[in-house]
Amino acid sequence: MDTLQFLFDGFLVALTPMNLMWVTLGGFLGTIIGMLPGLGPATGVAVLLPLTFSMGPTAALITMGGVYYGAMFGGSRASILINTPGDGAAVAATFDGYPMTLQGRAESALAISAIASFIGGIFATFCMVAIAIPVARFALKFGPAEYFMLFLFALSATASMTEGNRLRGFLATILGLMISTIGIDGQSGVVRFTFGVLELQSGIDFLIVIIAVYALGEVFKSFNNIHTGKTNVQKKFGKIWITREEWRKSVWPILRSAPLGFFVGALPGAGGTMASLMSYNNEKQLSKHPEEFGEGAIEGLAAPESANNAASVGAMIPMLTLGIPGSGTTAVMMGALLLLGLQPGPMLFQQQPLIIWGLIASMFIGNIILAVMNIPLAGLLVRVLSVPPKILYPIVLGLSFVGAYAISYSIMDFYLLIIFGLAGFLMSKAKIPSTPMILAVIVGNNMEQSFRRAYKISDGSLGIFVGSPICIILIALTVISIAYPVFKGIVDKKKKSSSPA
Amino acid sequence: MKSSIVPSLLFLLLGLIYTTATLLLPEASVGRPFEPKIFPLTLGIAMILLSLGLMARELKTEEGESSSENVPFYKEAGFSKILLTCLFSLVYALVFDKLGYVLSTMLFLEAELLIFNGKENWKINTIVSLAFSLFIYIVFSKLLGVYLPMTPVIWI
Repeated sequence: MDTLQFLFDGFLVALTPMNLMWVTLGGFLGTIIGMLPGLGPATGVAVLLPLTFSMGPTAALITMGGVYYGAMFGGSRASILINTPGDGAAVAATFDGYPMTLQGRAESALAISAIASFIGGIFATFCMVAIAIPVARFALKFGPAEYFMLFLFALSATASMTEGNRLRGFLATILGLMISTIGIDGQSGVVRFTFGVLELQSGIDFLIVIIAVYALGEVFKSFNNIHTGKTNVQKKFGKIWITREEWRKSVWPILRSAPLGFFVGALPGAGGTMASLMSYNNEKQLSKHPEEFGEGAIEGLAAPESANNAASVGAMIPMLTLGIPGSGTTAVMMGALLLLGLQPGPMLFQQQPLIIWGLIASMFIGNIILAVMNIPLAGLLVRVLSVPPKILYPIVLGLSFVGAYAISYSIMDFYLLIIFGLAGFLMSKAKIPSTPMILAVIVGNNMEQSFRRAYKISDGSLGIFVGSPICIILIALTVISIAYPVFKGIVDKKKKSSSPA
Repeated sequence: MKSSIVPSLLFLLLGLIYTTATLLLPEASVGRPFEPKIFPLTLGIAMILLSLGLMARELKTEEGESSSENVPFYKEAGFSKILLTCLFSLVYALVFDKLGYVLSTMLFLEAELLIFNGKENWKINTIVSLAFSLFIYIVFSKLLGVYLPMTPVIWI
């Protein structure tokens, strides 16, 4: 079978000593960034991006994959030991992970989180191997009109899944699309929205926006909640492993959460946060002892960890096969791919199969390496947690500036970095989500170009956007993605008012 | 006036400016003259409508629900530090090419560590900023082949 042959070739690429070294290094650095409160995988990949600039595309992707998993592992370390999740996806790990630490069961918590992440990640990678090629083949049928509708669906699904106020999610999306229209229009040569600034003619690099929002913006947010005192981190551990009894309790939650996580992760806009929270609630409902959840139930830690890692692999599918990132981190990785001159999408599978399969193979290897690194070396790694954030945050700032400079060697990018970093901070203060904006900035240009191409093909008729079954299905999905949360909100409200608590 | 409508006002303003700028764009000389304007015009109008919707919602929600516990962000303790960081970053950008990577980064980090870590820890701060800027310079410039401006006179 082709798939197995490709996978085998991929392993040959991923197992070269250099690439093994890169995935280990990426995983290690990612773990450190992921451990910092407030900084998650998206920040990790964004800040460590410049490391990959001189690498070939395969090595670059493999390194970033390592950073991605490393940051997720690191995030759950911080959740378990000091109750400060690195990002939304690690929040569920605090529910039972931190109580376990307080009860003196940190060893079991660290071990089960590594084991569950490992199983979830490996399971999802197998799923990815199975469905990546069929999805990519299917996507080859898409013309510009279908692509436009697909972008529209992905963006509206992301915006309408934003927690809290959906209007804010849509505003963030529009803002991101607006940013992507700055610069020379590729099809007509008209200069748009540069307000006379010469440097803006080539457009605003989305990587700058990403680094600004995910690194500078997050550091700005941290100013208000930096601990002045020393955090007490448990540094001495017994044997980091779990008992047979604990394994028996967690094995089914882990196996149930992996497919759930994979599926949710592959949906546009859903991602790790939703996957881990869903699996946590699922297990709580299925459990015979729901009252133990939140009091240090090991299955309450195992399930979201498995789902979270599975989701992170699932999120790669729309990014690699369709060129549509489903989460903040995959958006960053897609930005990096574009920077390397690769356009993710079905054609990439045909033209550069080795790159894709090298990455997929390295997901297997990365998961193994990180599990190995995180179980015996956990005691060593958590020492990083006792390095005061007061020193690490300025270093993150320093890394952001190097990264921004290395993208285009222009000081102009420093100013953009400051502006967007501040904007990211203000947006979070106004409760406007940043992820929809980031996704829109990345796909905005492709979205407009596919609109324009379709419009040209149809000679100025908008009928082409409803002209094929795929388009109509996508329109239906878009409408559902917007209408469903509204409908659900109304139903919930009625329920509330009919049964006063 | 309620402070919670400020974001929606800003978005409305942005939408209006963007829409106006779109209408003022020159016509394309190739293809349909108005083609480069279709997509931006849709965005501009969508933003105006959405911001009006958000404003209406903010006006409807009751006062106190959102603003009672919230201190405005510019009165929070960290805000002055954010402004200082922006100021240092601006200075950093201005001197980056002239002083070279190592020197300008050292100064920038020293200043940032002063905000974060305090001046009583100046020894650690200096060691960290010196080590970081040299390490990054060597890794990027020498090992990874990423160009970084050189500091004049000392040639690193």
